[in-house]
Amino acid sequence: MSPSTSALLRTAVLAVGVLQAALAAEPGAATHYTLDPAKSTLEFQFIQAGAQNKGHFGKFTVALDLPADNAAGGKLEVVVEMSSLDTGDKDRDDTLRGSDLFDVAKNPQARFASTQITRTAGGYDAVGKLTIRGTTRDQHVAFTFRTTQEQGKTVGYLAGKTTLKRLDFGVGQGDWKSTEWVGNDVTVSYSLRLVSAPH
Amino acid sequence: MTLRNTTTRWGGVSQFLHWLIVALILTQVILANIAMDLPIGVRKLAMFARHKSVGLTILALAAIRLLWRWTNPTPPLPNTLKPYERTLAQVTHAALYLLLFAMPLTGWMMTSARGFPVSWFNLFQLPDLVPRNQELYEAMKETHHALAYTLGAVVFLHVAAALKHHFVLRDDVLRRMLPTARKPG
Repeated sequence: MSPSTSALLRTAVLAVGVLQAALAAEPGAATHYTLDPAKSTLEFQFIQAGAQNKGHFGKFTVALDLPADNAAGGKLEVVVEMSSLDTGDKDRDDTLRGSDLFDVAKNPQARFASTQITRTAGGYDAVGKLTIRGTTRDQHVAFTFRTTQEQGKTVGYLAGKTTLKRLDFGVGQGDWKSTEWVGNDVTVSYSLRLVSAPH
Repeated sequence: MTLRNTTTRWGGVSQFLHWLIVALILTQVILANIAMDLPIGVRKLAMFARHKSVGLTILALAAIRLLWRWTNPTPPLPNTLKPYERTLAQVTHAALYLLLFAMPLTGWMMTSARGFPVSWFNLFQLPDLVPRNQELYEAMKETHHALAYTLGAVVFLHVAAALKHHFVLRDDVLRRMLPTARKPG
């Protein structure tokens, strides 16, 4: 092998190496995450008879695509199994599952699917379609997101809260339409551990 | 009628607190019974919320009343009472004061243990007295109900005694708790 050939080969090897490194850090390369249910919570808070009450959902799934440098190319999808709600009181839970409130027999799932994610001063804002009790409305979901490496895997922590009005989704028929004893505002808080997964 | 108690009759503040608490306890009995009979729903929730708010009001008034009693003269029981009647009167009054505190406090513990925090007429939220606990809730519910019947029995005794003083013994024991009371005889 002549010296010039050897130099050319070395350059080529170097070029491939640089290209590989560049690809790995390519802006816009989506990172796909799925939920770690054991270390994630989805809670809701509401006013009942003038006092703060809260509950949580036990079963829900989250899929997030969030390219490092291109939030607009991201997507957040959440599906909540409504019958998994738990406010710590069986009578209240059964009432919430009933036809006047979440009507889980006809609408077993609530869904959020983002149409656009934008960066904000504090983190991200996902705007999208939220469907509860069969009614779909535009909803902003603000969240913070940070990633770490845990045992060689990329792990993301997503947290935040958003407030919605239950009556916008028909959650409250008959007597429950009144907001005197159960407030219209419901604050949904989320603290999720997401693990990177192959797309 | 003076605001403060004298050695012969109850003053305006004591009388006002006595009769206001009587009215509120009657309200409590009505609200509790309406609430218990309603099916689960907003109306039941509203009735119990009112019951809790009135109960908290009674608790505050009971504290004020006890403080007022301690800082005022107490009109003495008539000298005509036999020793056992005197003891019975003292025990009955002590039981009434005790129940004025025990009823709201067991109710408050009951709703805290159930996991339903309370507010005062939807205006401000109060802290939970105990953490959520189903067994404690059941125990407090039974206690609250048992105390309610006890209160009914003690009130019956109290009213019967007051009427006996007024109509049989013809003394001023009942009249000195009434605003229009005149001196006997």
